[in-house]
Amino acid sequence: MNRNLAILLLVSAFVLSAQEFKLGSKVTDFSVQDLDGKSVSFASLRGPITVVTFVSVQCPVSNGYNQRMNALFKDYTPKDVKFIFVNANRNESASDVRSHAQGVGFVFPVYKDAGNVLADRFDAQVTPESYVIDSAGIVRYHGSIDDSQNEARIRARGLRLALDALLAGKPVAVAETKAFGCTIKRGRKST
Amino acid sequence: MMRVLALFLLPVFGACALPTLDEAAFQRLVEAHKGKVILYDFWATWCEPCRVELPQLARLEAKLRSQGFELITISADEPEQAADAEKVLKQFAVHGPVYRKQAKDDDRFINSIDAKWSGALPALFLYDKAGQKVRSFIGETDMGTVEAAIRKLL
Repeated sequence: MNRNLAILLLVSAFVLSAQEFKLGSKVTDFSVQDLDGKSVSFASLRGPITVVTFVSVQCPVSNGYNQRMNALFKDYTPKDVKFIFVNANRNESASDVRSHAQGVGFVFPVYKDAGNVLADRFDAQVTPESYVIDSAGIVRYHGSIDDSQNEARIRARGLRLALDALLAGKPVAVAETKAFGCTIKRGRKST
Repeated sequence: MMRVLALFLLPVFGACALPTLDEAAFQRLVEAHKGKVILYDFWATWCEPCRVELPQLARLEAKLRSQGFELITISADEPEQAADAEKVLKQFAVHGPVYRKQAKDDDRFINSIDAKWSGALPALFLYDKAGQKVRSFIGETDMGTVEAAIRKLL
């Protein structure tokens, strides 16, 4: 192997291990697992607009958004927005996710991201953290659902504003916000 | 002189519980602490790894205090969790200056600390004696690594 090729391969390996699905970049197919362990592809879950949100069973911040996530699902599903809620925490099993979802009354399914492969591809750090993908597969919003754990103090509903803009065929005014919450408990580093 | 004294004394735990801090106040804090090596710890009561780190950081502060090191904790808790944050700090014997973040715009606050920081907790930012940020530790961090980084600056 010549030296230039070796360098190219090293650079490629670095790029592959870095964030793949960035704001403005195209999301290629990925898969998550349903709570019976069956692989489900992005292609089968996506819609004209798709929201991917990383959630947790134990995180109080994520749990603070349970009813807001239900409301988002109820408000935007009729507008043909699809939601993919994902649990990537290594310390929360599919069984934990199922019990939690039933307990808190989620109106949507939650998927597992075994080995936090998807969290790594999005470089998601916390729960809850959301990404909005448009019909062309481009990430148009990344960040928080809104800017306050306490609903009474919300000043900016970043995710809803992004969805409303895309549904209206307009650019997303604030395309990135800082997601806040509990760090995703990662297992092995996926590459 | 009195203003400078107040800046140092008021936030010390027990004198005034969890005074609030926005991005401008944080910059003033950094200015006021030039001459010391400072570790700013952003944490929250709901953050389990933060609660694991707090007593370790308190012990580190006690060990290195005489050499010019200071720990300053900034809680990211909501106002209604401030009392719980206070209890946690007492429980773990965190004696340094303690604050609670209260910014008009959280994104602006986070960016003012470090534009590369996502806001994930725990987050430690190490400043040298010149008041320059030299290192950050985001997420669960090995305290041996933190101590070694601090010692290099003392």
